Amino acid sequence: MNAPFFKYGLFGDDVSLIVAFVIGIGFGFFLERAGFNSSKKLAAQFYFTDLTVFKVMFTAIITAMVGVYYLSVIGFVDLSLVYLTPTFLLPQIVGGLILGVGFVVGGYCPGTSCVAAATGRIDGVVYLLGVIAGIFVFGEMFPLVSSFYVSSPMGQITLPQISGLPYGLLVFLVVLMALGGFAGAEWVEKRMSSKKARV
Amino acid sequence: MKDYLKGLSLNKRLALIVLVLGFMALFAGSPYKGTEIRIDASEMAMIVQKEVDHVSPAELAGWIVQAKADYRLIDLRADKDFAEYHIPSAENIQLTGLKEAQLGRNEKIVLYSDGGIHSAQAWFLLKAEGFKGVYILRGGLEDWKDNILFPRLADNATPAEIAAFEKSKMLSKFFGGTPQTGGAAAAATPAMALPKLEAPSGAQTKGTAGKKKKEGC
Repeated sequence: MNAPFFKYGLFGDDVSLIVAFVIGIGFGFFLERAGFNSSKKLAAQFYFTDLTVFKVMFTAIITAMVGVYYLSVIGFVDLSLVYLTPTFLLPQIVGGLILGVGFVVGGYCPGTSCVAAATGRIDGVVYLLGVIAGIFVFGEMFPLVSSFYVSSPMGQITLPQISGLPYGLLVFLVVLMALGGFAGAEWVEKRMSSKKARV
Repeated sequence: MKDYLKGLSLNKRLALIVLVLGFMALFAGSPYKGTEIRIDASEMAMIVQKEVDHVSPAELAGWIVQAKADYRLIDLRADKDFAEYHIPSAENIQLTGLKEAQLGRNEKIVLYSDGGIHSAQAWFLLKAEGFKGVYILRGGLEDWKDNILFPRLADNATPAEIAAFEKSKMLSKFFGGTPQTGGAAAAATPAMALPKLEAPSGAQTKGTAGKKKKEGC
């Protein structure tokens, strides 16, 4: 048995939708458990008083990275078959900034807005409607931005390819970065909340 | 140490685990290695250059006559061609089926196709997969036909050639072929029909060979 299961034909398109549904439910469940259905908690991130989002996301990243890395090393996952989103540097930076502004203003990111809406929060539902409206507007004006959308293409690149460093070394560096990030986040949280308490 | 670990919070223990895994990643190598094929190019080139990967039709015929069983003869052609004629004791495995075929990496494998191209390509695939003893029948089935089934004696043959031809004649008859005499003019005679599979060739080969072996014991 080898992964990715879909690429190896373990299931077809129909079943893949069910699999996606189950994974999506699981993802939403754990986002909710992490407290990400609350825009207050999410927005606290930008005031450095609660960096749970940062910690949860970085935990997910290094868990997935270490998992995929070792499963590939033992030959269970064929990493060359895993889909990589192609990089378009400039449009993705701009898109990231727009998403970030939306995150700060609205208090949700797209995924957490679904979680919030699913738990019955009205701000979550409104945010979700905004997301859909945004998708519609983007779709309608796509011809105007399509040339920018595909500018500065870099292909399906990975950090080991850009840096030329061995894959294992990069895994180790990202782990160190994440652990440093966790320690730093805890420190910042303590500092900011004590400051807040004083004020 | 154990007490120290017990004293840590869950978060710190998880952090420790990921740190250890991350450190081990330094030595675990590339994750792509499971899918990449690695070959020793200079070794392969040497093998090809020296032609140690070739088996001549005469050698193979000798093995079959002696009923050697220490090798596997693989016919890479289509089912239809295989059904029409194949070298006795051959198995039919096509290039696309090579990966699934139950071939041992330590087995002696002799490949043949019509000419030499498909067997050379299959040879490369198997070598890249780490198979050690892979050989190509020199000239493929074409040469097998020319040298073993339908050996030809030229009109102006030297005595040495005639003596050799007598030998090939025996071999040719053993495999159900027809020796040709009289030079190129007779090349397209209907006598050159491929031996029928149910005819003496395959079945008898195994039969007599088996007997011989028993006598030897």
